[in-house]
Amino acid sequence: MKIFEKVRQYLIEESMCDPDKLSDDTLIFDQGLLDSMGLLYLVQFLNDEFKVVVNDQELIKENFESVNAIASFVAGKLEEKKSLPAEQMPL
Amino acid sequence: MESKTKLHSLERLRIEDVESLCDKLTDKLRNDVIYQLNRRGAVVGISGGIDSSVTLALAVRAFGAKNVVAIMLPERDSSPDSLRLGNELAKTFGVKALVEDLTEALQGFGCYKRRDEAISRVFPSFNPATDKAKIVINQNIGKAIPSVFSVMIISADGKKHSKLLPVSEYLQIVASTNFKQRSRMSMLYYHAERLHYAVIGTPNKAEVDQGFFVKYGDGGADVMPIGGLYKTQVYQLAEFLGIPDEIIQRTPTTDTYTAEQTQEEFFYQLPFETMDLIWHGWENKCPPEELAHELDKSTDEIRNIYNSFERKRKTTDYLRMPPIFYDHNM
Repeated sequence: MKIFEKVRQYLIEESMCDPDKLSDDTLIFDQGLLDSMGLLYLVQFLNDEFKVVVNDQELIKENFESVNAIASFVAGKLEEKKSLPAEQMPL
Repeated sequence: MESKTKLHSLERLRIEDVESLCDKLTDKLRNDVIYQLNRRGAVVGISGGIDSSVTLALAVRAFGAKNVVAIMLPERDSSPDSLRLGNELAKTFGVKALVEDLTEALQGFGCYKRRDEAISRVFPSFNPATDKAKIVINQNIGKAIPSVFSVMIISADGKKHSKLLPVSEYLQIVASTNFKQRSRMSMLYYHAERLHYAVIGTPNKAEVDQGFFVKYGDGGADVMPIGGLYKTQVYQLAEFLGIPDEIIQRTPTTDTYTAEQTQEEFFYQLPFETMDLIWHGWENKCPPEELAHELDKSTDEIRNIYNSFERKRKTTDYLRMPPIFYDHNM
């Protein structure tokens, strides 16, 4: 499954929302699909699923506002990881 | 110009006749405690902060100083100022003051150990004996993203390090530090039962409405006389009731973590005056663009703060709920 689909599936299961109502660009916080605990669990999911570690500074609307934004953020982090020498990889 | 419009807005929340409101609150407090709860006096936990001081002063007006006991509940992380100011407050109002140090009880619960274990999982180099720690929010409330907590450690040389808290560590830190508020509540009820008094709670409107209290901790009390007052209104009452200046001037802190932490940085993310105005605007459905103009902020910022209030209100409903009693005939 692609990153986008995994993130979308996670959000549908976590928020128990109607899948038809979650489009690529649905604003997940404006729509009340996730609150602060939901966001924390999402960060945990990204770590468990993609081994992506989210930093304080990365927790901004642009990275997390929609399925598209989260998938792009994760893809960017994975790319970044690929380009790092092994000894600099975040644990 | 900006301060003029803000001043105009603040007038909306200003209590015109403070004396009359104090009389109403004390009459109701007396009636509720004596006739509804059938208790003969009041126990108030005091911290040297503005809310507990105003609550104590109202209790003294309602029951007389001889029927009120002020209880200070320090533990090893408390600021020494809390005890000093608590004693000064009790002296000002002529009430009996008791000190109950909760450190050993909290050690028994494993409060410090459980909290420090969780912090150490995030920062393996954390040394509770020399480093201080606190929980902080690094996002801006005016941005369209919910607040998420980070842990900040301050090492002995003053260096600060902050990391986003993973969910299990966040929950463990909160659950373990909540032993503090719940132990305070237990001790207040011990004294209240011993004296056949009621426990008078100290949360203000912002704390009650936004869920900035611990369920069955500081949220566990028989009456909450200032629960309907905005923080700026609590300050108005404080002036009228003669609360010592040093308490009025003191920055409200959580007095919960080892590193000093204001309530603004831990929870509200806005100065009290601004928060009260925006909360009032949100509650009264004031259009964001109107409030944005008055407060010299962008409409988007106000809209995001309204959304944040709505989220807080919803996610903290659980804290305000009483137990759900089942009817056996269901």
